[in-house]
Amino acid sequence: MTDQFRPYSGIRILDTTHDLGRYATRLFADLGAEVIRIEPPGGLPDRARDTAAKPGGAEAFAFFNASKQSLVLDLTGNEGRARLADLAREAQIVVMERGGPLVEADIAWLRGLNPTSIIAFISPYGLGGPLEAAPASDLTLQAAGGIAWMTGRGDEPPLRLPGGQSAMITSVYAGAAIAVSLFDAETHGKGHILDISAQEAIAHSLQNAIQVWDLERRVSHRAGEGTRDASENIYPCLDGHVFLASPPTTGVSWKSLLAWMRELNHPSAVPFSDEKWLSRPYRSTPAARAEFQPIFEAFAKDFTRKELVDNALKRRIVMAPVARVRDVLDDEQLVWRDYFVPMGEGGARFPGAPYRLSEPVWAVTPAPALGQHNSKL
Amino acid sequence: MKPDFLRGIRFTDLTWAGAGPFGTKVFSDFGAEVLKIESMSRPDPVRRGGPFRDGVAGTNRSGYFASRNTGKKSISLDLKNPDGHAIALKLIEQSDVVSNNFGPGAMERLGLTYDEVRAVKPDIIYLSMPMYGEAGPLSTLLGVGMTIAAVTGMMWMTGYGNGEKPLGPGTHYPDHAANPYHAAFAVLAALRHRRHTGKGMKIDLSQVESTANFMGASILEASQTNAEPEHPGNRSRSDAPHNVFRCAGEDAWCAVTVETDGEWLALAAAIGRQDLAARPDLRQSAGRLAARDELEVAVTGWCAHHSATNAAGLLQTAGVPAARVASSRDLVEEDPQLAARGYWQHVDHPEMGPALFTSPPFRIDGERVELARPPLFGEHTEEVLSGLLGMSRDEIAMLAERKILA
Repeated sequence: MTDQFRPYSGIRILDTTHDLGRYATRLFADLGAEVIRIEPPGGLPDRARDTAAKPGGAEAFAFFNASKQSLVLDLTGNEGRARLADLAREAQIVVMERGGPLVEADIAWLRGLNPTSIIAFISPYGLGGPLEAAPASDLTLQAAGGIAWMTGRGDEPPLRLPGGQSAMITSVYAGAAIAVSLFDAETHGKGHILDISAQEAIAHSLQNAIQVWDLERRVSHRAGEGTRDASENIYPCLDGHVFLASPPTTGVSWKSLLAWMRELNHPSAVPFSDEKWLSRPYRSTPAARAEFQPIFEAFAKDFTRKELVDNALKRRIVMAPVARVRDVLDDEQLVWRDYFVPMGEGGARFPGAPYRLSEPVWAVTPAPALGQHNSKL
Repeated sequence: MKPDFLRGIRFTDLTWAGAGPFGTKVFSDFGAEVLKIESMSRPDPVRRGGPFRDGVAGTNRSGYFASRNTGKKSISLDLKNPDGHAIALKLIEQSDVVSNNFGPGAMERLGLTYDEVRAVKPDIIYLSMPMYGEAGPLSTLLGVGMTIAAVTGMMWMTGYGNGEKPLGPGTHYPDHAANPYHAAFAVLAALRHRRHTGKGMKIDLSQVESTANFMGASILEASQTNAEPEHPGNRSRSDAPHNVFRCAGEDAWCAVTVETDGEWLALAAAIGRQDLAARPDLRQSAGRLAARDELEVAVTGWCAHHSATNAAGLLQTAGVPAARVASSRDLVEEDPQLAARGYWQHVDHPEMGPALFTSPPFRIDGERVELARPPLFGEHTEEVLSGLLGMSRDEIAMLAERKILA
């Protein structure tokens, strides 16, 4: 690995992200960038927030800060700022996040120090506008960005996606925007300033809901009215749940499911043979969903997840096990592809690369202790 | 601005449906020439799926297609015909990236494997993004965004909590963030790598592995603790109140969260509950968590008297994270923040008329990236075959007659 040129070899990133942007800088770090967390003496906010005292806290810190370095600089004093200025003159990228030690007013200062760098500011609502300074959290951003509206049961509250998805969405957009800006800066020798809004990133990932409103004046709703096929749902089976997607328009998924039921002389084949199940408009009604559920459940309940998936593979039906998180660690295919990376105490299985590259340029190392790289830097 | 950051970069883009084209759109929006190869023998499913302008279906009327394909060029080409295949290879010879999101085996059947492509363009960047990877015991499992959510634990963890049956995301979520953007990031990394080494590479993006990273912290927790991470729905595992509350009006909701002691005191004051603010047992998160039901009742009572917009505004002003749960209509018609930042763009289109688009979710050097309209089916076939490949009008007419350009 030492002699291998990696995609971001030679790139130094000064990083004060602590929530929404951490995964963005990690993507660069895993591909060879030197990502330096610039931390105040007490650490960036995630040092106090994501600890073992909170369920899942330590693991979140380890995941989001892997492959990075840590340098303690007190930016409230002249010495710390002078040291940062020296680093910023040489750094190709600075990524900051609202609530960290670098603030909006520092953008101009950093630009003055280095006119060719990429300076990214990540915040819940972006810079400017009435909500520029509004307090926010994962749940409120998923609400404000429109994605919570689309999940949950129709008669109950809208529901957020799990696992802090506001930060995941924001970070992948930020990562791509920074990368494309760097590509240009290295071509033309001119830097860029990026002002990245988490709310906008979420609103950019609403499937086709914006177009459904604009073109057909319909509001995509969590009850799934008019958007989902009756079959697209989660069903209990012998040892868990499976997800099925079997609209007549998706390959042979519907025909093949029906053939399987008939092969077994299963009573569910009878109601499903009614012609109305070939009608797309009918299948997108709430009534069809309600009717579909017990008929397919009666079929699925006597099979294990494995039996259902084996048949899905054989019969080209779109159906997958609903994995618990622990199941993911033992996923046959992920294990076969050697996806997980042993890391840390006891060699816990750490999620592997999001993409497999034919050159050996992706690597992950443990998250740094506070100030671990003070002497080196 | 109309950025030319990627001018000179060309894609032969075979991606279709949702996730693939959303990823290559990053490149066309920043000035790369993305040649979208399409055929009516197997049309892009999102051209067939709605929504359509005024609800009237048509190949060039789909808003879903439009939103994934801004700024691209459409080349109609039947890749299964040997002459069509030969044309694709000529395009690839002059391309920097070849991208596809087909299932395993499809590129073999098309005669466009990495090795076959590399033979004509040695430094090609080759992006493949099948659901589960190209080989292995489950590689042939058919997938859509929701199946990817199912096998990565995301579906299991999406629910109201309390151990009830999972609900899963309401959209094919992995198609709209994790997979397109990991793919775009990988291609950008490969482009920089090539710039410094002269070497191309193959990017084998398993959409399950990509999406598993979006569940990365939870998966790591399961691995470290050997226990199933609790999924609290809209609630928090460490503080309260933290939920979505019903407001005055129909289907109106406000998200309200407390994650610090300061936010708690601000909330108690804002909802006029100084009695709760004064209680010592609620000063810290553990006590609030223990009193969760009582605190949710208090917030519910207050929200019932306010519209979602007012509730969110009052709480935000008081320093409490809060937001109206916005629908697509709310975002487009009523969101003052998105409007103030110039998030929405109308782009004119010959068949759809002016249509609404979300801007890339950032401002760059103070400006928005201006989008160019998506292509009509086959709109650029002739231009590219004559301009890039130097084919004569007669040759092109002959190919068209043989239905190779359809």
